[in-house]
Amino acid sequence: MMENVKTGSAGSEPAAGFKESAFFTLTAILAGFVIELFSSGKGIDFPGWPFNLIFLLLFGVLIFAVGLLFRERPLVKWLGGIPMGLSLIVGLALLSLVGGVVPQDAMPPGSFAASLRLNGIFSSWPFALVTLLFLFNLGLSLVWKIVPFKPANLQFILFHGGFWLALACGLAGATQLERLTVPIYEGRSSNKAYDRKHDRMIELPFSIYLKDFQIDQYVHQFAMYDPKQDRLVETSSKLLPEIRKGVKAEWPGIGSVTVLDYLSHALPRPDGAPVVVKSEMGVPFAKVRIESGNKVAESWISSGGPEVRPQFVSMGEYFVVMLEGQPKAFRSIVKLNADKGESKSATLEVNKPVDFMGWKLYQASYDEKAGRWSTLSLVEAIRDPWLPAVYVGFFMIMAGNALFFWKGLKKMEEA
Amino acid sequence: MTLVDFPSMAIATVACWSAGSALQIPAQRSKAFGVASWLLMISGTAVLTWFLASYWIALERPPLRTLGETRLWYATFIPVIGFLVEYRYKIRWLKYYCMGLAALFLGINYLHPDVFQKALMPALQSVWFVPHVVVYLVAYALLAASAASGWHNVIQNLRHKRSEKGESMSHYLALLGFVLLTFGLIFGALWAKEAWGHYWTWDPKETWAFISWLAYLGYLHLVSMKTDPRKLQWYLGLAFIVLLVCWFGVNYLPSAQNSVHTYSG
Repeated sequence: MMENVKTGSAGSEPAAGFKESAFFTLTAILAGFVIELFSSGKGIDFPGWPFNLIFLLLFGVLIFAVGLLFRERPLVKWLGGIPMGLSLIVGLALLSLVGGVVPQDAMPPGSFAASLRLNGIFSSWPFALVTLLFLFNLGLSLVWKIVPFKPANLQFILFHGGFWLALACGLAGATQLERLTVPIYEGRSSNKAYDRKHDRMIELPFSIYLKDFQIDQYVHQFAMYDPKQDRLVETSSKLLPEIRKGVKAEWPGIGSVTVLDYLSHALPRPDGAPVVVKSEMGVPFAKVRIESGNKVAESWISSGGPEVRPQFVSMGEYFVVMLEGQPKAFRSIVKLNADKGESKSATLEVNKPVDFMGWKLYQASYDEKAGRWSTLSLVEAIRDPWLPAVYVGFFMIMAGNALFFWKGLKKMEEA
Repeated sequence: MTLVDFPSMAIATVACWSAGSALQIPAQRSKAFGVASWLLMISGTAVLTWFLASYWIALERPPLRTLGETRLWYATFIPVIGFLVEYRYKIRWLKYYCMGLAALFLGINYLHPDVFQKALMPALQSVWFVPHVVVYLVAYALLAASAASGWHNVIQNLRHKRSEKGESMSHYLALLGFVLLTFGLIFGALWAKEAWGHYWTWDPKETWAFISWLAYLGYLHLVSMKTDPRKLQWYLGLAFIVLLVCWFGVNYLPSAQNSVHTYSG
């Protein structure tokens, strides 16, 4: 692609061969599905280290050899031509379409979808075959643009080469990608990681000590709950009101609620009235004034906590309830200790992973049922040795893309 | 400014666009009407931009989280593309499609109001959030304009009123859209690595983003193969449907039940 309309060598190839290319692609897809059918939808296992690298190198050598030695042969021209590329793009798009519609998860083994591996299309034989042929086609077109090299080919080489690298290394490296979950409780240390994909336990070469797990929340809110329809009634301002002293919310035709007082950490006395406590175990309480028609009442409401029941107040056929603030941020303060003595203090937070001994550590989750009282942190440890190659591919695509943009703008100016 | 102000702002915007469009008729004879027409149309977009900016301030986060919020952005960007195309290429009809589409989006938001929600989940709190979404928004806006122009060209061709200038415009809009689509896709992958640990997991939204990228990649290859541009207008008109599935249709597909992207719905 990326050839412009008026010029271009490969771009001026006739559309001849498109039907044959489409037929070829279709045959590859059907062959893939036949293999799946005969292997009961087991899918394809790409070879692991070092065979993935050897395979990729041999594949690269093959592309270069075929591309350079037989470049004038009609068959090779056809294999590396645009009609073939286009057919394979359509093939990839159609298979991705299956993956975009059919849920990609476990299905009953005997089902039609599972026997064709429609529920795991991206590790299926048809997808692998089409991708392999696509990489071959893309590789040939690249070789022809690289040898002989012309500066005008740079944009083509960057974009196509980047795509080749990212796709090939992403797929070949997938077998070496390790995604492990490390559950740790506050005040404890662990090096036990779980590989959920293969359902096994692995010991990391370092341990993680969880000093503290923290959750920041957005401000608590209050709402009018309609039990008959099991939904929240919208306020006149269309916003879910935040609980702050003095805030007043109105529900048209029902009434209004005003927050008179707010205690962020409190525990209820036997009579239900709250007492401020310093402990983190305290839960939020708010005193609200409810006005509905001629009736005015004051009451305490609370979202509750692990040991404290939520408190709400009725307002006609509705209830005024306090909603727990949504999590704003959560982080683990950890100390990483390597078996060989190296250590590092770090804070793990969503979107802020930390590197340690070739692993990337992520704040993944926590005990969501316990909410802000969670003492459990789920850390994800990830290692992907092929990542640099994939990123080189990404940056090549972006560089090619930037050149394409610039060329496109210039052509637009001329148009 | 909150969503309470949205209906009046949307009505003001659509009124400005409509009045400006109506004034285009007398503007063909009088320059003064032309100036007034443009002032009105640009004012419509300015009102919407003002609303978007003050809504951003009120939300205390970028208004890029929900589908309704993204519709606000499209309604702001798409007419601008129509205006720029007229300024640069003197093609006058595209802006009406663009304003029409934008008014439709405002109408959907009016009928299905969002809930004013300040919360932004931790995964979205990233430096990648604004560049990833804005690049996609502009890409979609360009491709929407390219699709509108594609359909216009299809109709003109059926009426034997072919315009090569019109066809070339839909091509360049698609080309720019593709460039931004590519950047959006890669920004998304780089962000996913930081937020979720891997750059590509075949999440349904990712899969559909890949399919839509392939659809336009296919278009560019058809162009390289010197396909008849008249046929390509059909392609551009239909390719946008794939983008619509990726934008919001994916939320209704069976595959989306485990998607990490469903919060955008």
